[in-house]
Amino acid sequence: MEIDVRKKKADHRLLDGERKTSYLCLIPSCIGLIFLTYVPLITVLILSFFNWKGVGTLQWVGLTNYVRLFTKDPYFIDAIKVTVYFSVLAVFGSILYSFAIALLLNQKIPARGFFRAIFYLPYVLPAMAVYLGWSWLYESNWGLFNYILSFLGIGKVKFIGSPTWVVPSLALIAVWLSGNLIVIFLAGLQNVPRVYHEAAEMDGASGWQRFRYITIPCMTPIIFYNLLMSLITNMQVVTPALALTQGGPGNSSRFISYVMYTYAFKDAKLSYACAISFIFFLIIAVFTIILFVTSGRWVFYQGGND
Amino acid sequence: MAKKTAFQSRMKHEKTLNTLALIAVILASLLVMLPIWWIFRSSLMTNAQLFAWPPSFFPKDWLFSNYTKALKYFPFLQYLKNTMTIIIPSVLGGTITATMGGYAFARLRFRGKKFLFSLCVGSMLLPNMVTLIPLYIMWTKGFHLANTYWPLILPYFCGGGAFNIFLIRQFISTIPRELDEAATIDGAGYFRILTNIIVPSIKPAIIVVALLLFIQIWNDLLQQIIYINTGDKFTIAIGLSQFKGSLKQEWAYIMCATCMSFAPGIIFYLIGQKYFVEGIVLTGMKN
Repeated sequence: MEIDVRKKKADHRLLDGERKTSYLCLIPSCIGLIFLTYVPLITVLILSFFNWKGVGTLQWVGLTNYVRLFTKDPYFIDAIKVTVYFSVLAVFGSILYSFAIALLLNQKIPARGFFRAIFYLPYVLPAMAVYLGWSWLYESNWGLFNYILSFLGIGKVKFIGSPTWVVPSLALIAVWLSGNLIVIFLAGLQNVPRVYHEAAEMDGASGWQRFRYITIPCMTPIIFYNLLMSLITNMQVVTPALALTQGGPGNSSRFISYVMYTYAFKDAKLSYACAISFIFFLIIAVFTIILFVTSGRWVFYQGGND
Repeated sequence: MAKKTAFQSRMKHEKTLNTLALIAVILASLLVMLPIWWIFRSSLMTNAQLFAWPPSFFPKDWLFSNYTKALKYFPFLQYLKNTMTIIIPSVLGGTITATMGGYAFARLRFRGKKFLFSLCVGSMLLPNMVTLIPLYIMWTKGFHLANTYWPLILPYFCGGGAFNIFLIRQFISTIPRELDEAATIDGAGYFRILTNIIVPSIKPAIIVVALLLFIQIWNDLLQQIIYINTGDKFTIAIGLSQFKGSLKQEWAYIMCATCMSFAPGIIFYLIGQKYFVEGIVLTGMKN
């Protein structure tokens, strides 16, 4: 009887210690989640209903900021189009490129680790330096890309100086930087159960059939994850505009984040920029939801795994 | 007999496929390296060579003196020092707090765990860009920390990002619980288990988190630009963005600055590469 009570007490103390440790361990993360993530998100929404330039009192304006964004703002609507255009190019480009490279690296080739390191390398370079370096490659008279085009008999292209080519040119840099996706794809490919392939081969399936009906379905969860992460990253694109194009030529690379940045930090229209932030949040949320909803149709989760 | 030839032809088929894959990989990796080589080769050239047509793939006489000249306009060491002043504490803080958070989510039982965890995962989908302005207001008008490194460092002491907490949690859950239990029997508390058992066995994940944090700060320009305004506090990224404006046509010097800024990232990556791949592999698998 007494032993029982003592045991219970010990159990209780143990559980208490567990709880204390967990709260202690989570204090930093909780502060981060509350004060650096969710409270700011709500603040963005609240501030967007006011007129405030960083000093003085807040002035309630209701939905005026939003109405102005969609009716009078000279940049906003175009910025949404440009950002979506860039993201579509960058996301699909990166996914196709990294999946193709991962498939190649998954063959029996020597020095696989070495090649994987090469494809990953661009990802560890600082973004600002990458854009600066590439601006020289894209130079309209002496750059590498115009040199390459000259072999194909194509005349000089201005790339980042041309309204037509600036977004595709920047998207190509984003694709080049997507080496991290390759590593994730490659890991996924190595986890496709070999037995499936062997069984299909016994049944006389061709290489293409095995790829189409075994590799692709098994890879859909990873494709989904890469799509999602790549979308969220690329929608937030701002460094190339900040570092290289200043939104130009014209407004052809004026991304949403860059418009937000200029309003908030150049014109000190903080609350107006908050309205942009919130719309931006909604746009990304809509894309994310669309991805999640449609994923039921094409993402195939293997039962019992995990 | 027929069976054997079928097998042989399949082997042969596979061999040609592998050779083709190897050729494709070599070509692709040359293409991927080409921009880096071109930037490097440009940093060693005179203007005459840079603006020659057709351009050559190799510099005529490797002008490493370009680097010393570029350093006059681009105080790389000063910028590197400033950048490291941000990166070292941030990476340390982020790694430690992410490990603590990941440990709590992976191993400990407490009230509100599910709720907290979903908040954490949810924040992974929340773009940083959205919270930029409120955070700016908080740091500059609330705490009066404009033009200091604190707004760039302190956030990393608050969990180090949901993704990293998640990564650590996934890694810890692959470690057999028996180890913890054995330690508990020996009288170790939960904190001791974390420091003496968990941390040594998740070393690869910790290195990955450190490298990811490093890359994240290394890549950042926007946050640094909005908080830092004086030249003596410039980081590499801000320095580079200003440098181009001041030296419009001196492409060789600009490329020198670019190459210098590439170097630390490459070095860190080469050091941690083995662990890096291992850890990324794990995050890619479980989501």
